Amino acid sequence: MKPLLLPAFVILAQATAWADGGTVQLRQEAGDLVITVFTSPSPLSVGPADISLLLQNRDGLEPVLDAKVSLVLRAEDSGIELQAQPTREKARNKLLYAAPVTLFKPGKWRMAFVVVRNQEETDGVGSLEVAAAPDKAASYAAFIAFPPVMIGLFIVRQWLIRQRSQRGE
Amino acid sequence: MDPIATAVLASWTLDWGSLCLLLTIAALYFRGWLHLHAELPYKYTTGRLASFTGGLFAIVLALDSPIDALGALLLQAHMIQHLLLTMVAAPLLLLGQPVLPLLRGLPRWLFKDALGPFLSCRELKQLGHAIVHPVVTWFAWSAAIVVWHFPRLYDLAVRSPGWHQAEHACFFWSAVLFWWPVVDVWPSIPIWPRAAMIPYLLFAGMVNMGLSAVLSFSNHILYSSYALAPRLWGISALEDQAAAGGIMWVPGSIAMLIPVAILGIRALETRRAHPMKPVLRVLTPHRPRQWDLLRIPIIGPVLQYRHFRRCIQAAMLLLAAVVAIDGFFGPQVAPMNLAGVLPWTHWRGLVVIALLLAGNLFCMACPFTLPRDLARKFVTPRYHWPSRLRSKWIAAGLLATYLWAYEAFSLWDSPSSTAWIILGYFVAAFAVDIVFKGASFCKYVCPIGHFHFVHSLVSPLQVKVREPAVCGSCTTHDCIRGNVQQRGCELQLFQPRKAGNFDCTFCLDCVQACPQNNVGILRAGPGQSLLEDHHSSGIGRLSRRPDVAAMVLILVFGAFLNAAGMTEPVMMWMHQWHARLQLGSLVPIVTVMYLGGLLIIPGLLVAACGWISRLGAKASWKDLTCSFSLALVPVGFSMWLAHLSNHLIAGWSTVIPAVEKFVSRAPSVNYLQAWVPDWIPSLELCFLDLGLLLTLYTTWRVARRLSTGDGMALAAMSPWAVLAGALYSTGIWIVFQPMQMRGMIMH
Repeated sequence: MKPLLLPAFVILAQATAWADGGTVQLRQEAGDLVITVFTSPSPLSVGPADISLLLQNRDGLEPVLDAKVSLVLRAEDSGIELQAQPTREKARNKLLYAAPVTLFKPGKWRMAFVVVRNQEETDGVGSLEVAAAPDKAASYAAFIAFPPVMIGLFIVRQWLIRQRSQRGE
Repeated sequence: MDPIATAVLASWTLDWGSLCLLLTIAALYFRGWLHLHAELPYKYTTGRLASFTGGLFAIVLALDSPIDALGALLLQAHMIQHLLLTMVAAPLLLLGQPVLPLLRGLPRWLFKDALGPFLSCRELKQLGHAIVHPVVTWFAWSAAIVVWHFPRLYDLAVRSPGWHQAEHACFFWSAVLFWWPVVDVWPSIPIWPRAAMIPYLLFAGMVNMGLSAVLSFSNHILYSSYALAPRLWGISALEDQAAAGGIMWVPGSIAMLIPVAILGIRALETRRAHPMKPVLRVLTPHRPRQWDLLRIPIIGPVLQYRHFRRCIQAAMLLLAAVVAIDGFFGPQVAPMNLAGVLPWTHWRGLVVIALLLAGNLFCMACPFTLPRDLARKFVTPRYHWPSRLRSKWIAAGLLATYLWAYEAFSLWDSPSSTAWIILGYFVAAFAVDIVFKGASFCKYVCPIGHFHFVHSLVSPLQVKVREPAVCGSCTTHDCIRGNVQQRGCELQLFQPRKAGNFDCTFCLDCVQACPQNNVGILRAGPGQSLLEDHHSSGIGRLSRRPDVAAMVLILVFGAFLNAAGMTEPVMMWMHQWHARLQLGSLVPIVTVMYLGGLLIIPGLLVAACGWISRLGAKASWKDLTCSFSLALVPVGFSMWLAHLSNHLIAGWSTVIPAVEKFVSRAPSVNYLQAWVPDWIPSLELCFLDLGLLLTLYTTWRVARRLSTGDGMALAAMSPWAVLAGALYSTGIWIVFQPMQMRGMIMH
C-alpha cells in the first residue's frame, strides 16, 4: 500500500520503493507472443531490483499465464552473471512474471530471456543501463530527518507553553 | 473462473507497514469512539464507526487491491483508484467525525502533554479555521486534480513510485479538505450556511466534468506512459483514455450530486425544532481503572496460576539442558548446533522484543534459579549477602567481561563454550543462593538479569500496586515478608514503595502473596521511571547510584561496540592491526578495543559531559553524571533492539536445521541461509529514532529537575544531548554497513 495518510507514511514509504511493473525496457514480438519487459526501480541502480515480463498472445493481446520463463543477466564489463526464474507467484500483478534480482555493478548489463510455452521456446535479448547505487543515507533521509523534525516540534511546544504562561492563561 | 480473472483478482499487495498504521488508526478511533459513544450516544453512533471503518477500507481497496496493480497498465484502473481515494475514502472518513474519537483514543500522556499545547494554541486554531474555509478547500481540491492531470506530472507519477505517492497524498488530502465543509466536521464551526454547499459542490462538479471531457474526447493520447504500456485485451490506449474520462465523469459526478440532493432536501424541509435529547447518564469525572494485564481474560488467570512460573521455568530448564547437551556433544559448527543458534540468534532477539513490548519476561522464566529453589526445600541458606558487596559493581564488571569475551573468543561461534557458559551459570546461581539468603544472585551478580533490569526501565508494563490506599491500611506486608503459603519478594522490593522495573524479576511472588489482591501488572508510560526518578524500595534513587550509572554506561556503549564488531569496516580494521602487529590471535586487539570503547572513552566522555553540565545545574558532578547517564538507556536499548532483532528476523529459520541435526536427521541446508528482508534497515532506523527521542526527552526532564529555568536546563542537558546524538549517528553508520550474519550462512 502506498503512503497516504500521515507524515509518518513518508517513513514507511522507504521500504516499498519498488515492485513489479515499472519502466518498460523492451517490447518484442516473437513467435506467437508479445513480450514486454519492465524494470524497477526507476532509474535502475545497483542493489535490489525487480525484473518482470508480461507475455501476451499476439492475437487478442490476452495475457499468457502458463509459460516458464528464465532470465540471464550479464554485466558487460565484469562478466558477472545472474540467473533468475521469473514467476507469477513472485509478482504483485499476477499477470506478470517477476523476479527479484540484486545488481552488483553499475554500467551496461545484457539481458537474455527464454520463454517456454506448449513445448515451444521463444527467446529474446536486450540491455539494461544500471546506475550507481543511490546513497544509503539519501534513501533513508526521512528516517534521519524524523528526529530533527520532532525536536523542532518539541521546541515549538515549549514555546507555546511559555507564551501561555506569560499570557496568564 | 477464467484464469485471467483469477490472476487479476489475486493481485493484492498487502504492505504490512502501512496496514499496521491503518490498523493503529482504526484502533485509536475505536478506543475514542467507545468513550464518546458512552458519553454522547446520539452524536457518536454506530453509523459513524461504520463510516470511518468503511473509509479506511476504501483506502486499502484503492492502494492494495488489484486496482493498484492494474493501474500501471490501464488508465481506467488508475482513475478508479483516484476516485476511491477522493470520492469514497475521504468523505466516509469525515462522516465518522474523526477528530474527537482519534484524540480521545490517544494515550492520555500523548494527548495532554504532547498535543495539548498545540491544540490549545490560538494561532494554530486560527490557521486551522482558515484552512477549512470553503474557498480555500474548493481551490485546493480543484488545483490538485487539475495540476496532477497535466501530462508531464501524470507521467512522472506513473513512472516514479515516489511521485506516485505524492500524487495520491495530494489527491487524498485535498479531498479531505474539500469534503470538510460539506460534511461539517466537528469541532470546526460552519463558516457558510449549509445551503451554500450546493453551489460549492456543483462548481466542483463542473471542474471534474471539464477534465473528464478532455480525457473522453481527446483524439490523441495524453499520457505517454500509457501509450508505451502494453495493451491488455486489445484495448487501445485511446479507448482506455476515453473510458477513464467516462469513469471520472459519471461516478465522479454522482459522488457530487448525492450530497447536493441531500443538502437540497434538508434545505427544503420545514424547520423543526430538534430538542436536545437528554443525556441520561450523569457525566461525573471518574478515575478510569488502570489497564492491568492480570485482569485480561485467559492471560491474567494463567499468569496468576500458582504454578505458572514453575512450569515455564521447567520448560526453559529443559531447553537449556538440550542446548547444553548439543553444545557439548553436537557438531561444533554454530549454524548446525542448537547452542550456536538458540541462545545467540533467537533468545537474545526475543528478550529485547519482550522488553520492548511487555517487560522482563525472561527473568520470569529464568531456568537458573529453579535448581536452587528445589534445593532450598532441603537446605536453608544461613548467610546474608555481605553488606560491602550490596551494589551493582559485580554485575557491571561481569557484563563488561561478557561483552569482551563474546568478541574476543567468538562465543557465538563456539557451541561448546556456550554450553560451558550455561553450565557455569547454573553452578554460580546455585552456589550463591545456597549459601546466601534471598535472591542474592539475581540482585547482585546475574549479568543477564541486570541487562533486563536496566532495559526494563523503558518497558511498557510494571508490577505495581493497583490501589495505593489499600496498602495504606495493610499491616502484614505479605508482599515483602511473605506468608505461610507464599514467599515475599526476595529482591527486597516493598510494593507500595516500589517505583519502576529496576530489580524486578516479574516473578509475581508479590502478586501471589498479597492478601488484598492489590498487585497487578500495570501499564507505564515510555521510560516513566527514568523521567520521574522516585525513591524506590530496595534500591533508593537510581540517580544517586554510581554503580547503576556505570552499569548503564557499559550497556549503552556496549550496545554500539557489540554491533560495530560485526560490521565489515571494524572487522577489517581489527584484521589489519592483527596482521600489522603479527599477533598470534585477535584477543589483544579486541581487548584494546573494548578497554577503549567500553571503559576509557565512555569514562572520559561522561566525565566531560558531567563537568560541562555543572554550568547549568546546581548539583554535584557525581549527581549530574549519575542522573544524566540513566537518560542514555533508551538510545542504548534502541541499538540492542536494532541489532538483535535484525539477527532474529534474518535468522529465525536457522533453528530448523539445528533441531533436525539434533534429532539425527539430515538438516535442511536452505534454512541455514540468512534472508534479510529489505525493510529491516527501516525498522532499525525507526528503533534508533525513537531511542534518541526518548533519550533527549529524558535528558530534558532530568535537566529541568536539576536546574532553575529553561535556559539553565538547556545548558545542563546540551553535552548529554550531543553525546546521545553521537551515539545515534554511530548507530546509523552501523545500520548502513554490511554486517556479518553470525550463526548462519549468509545468502
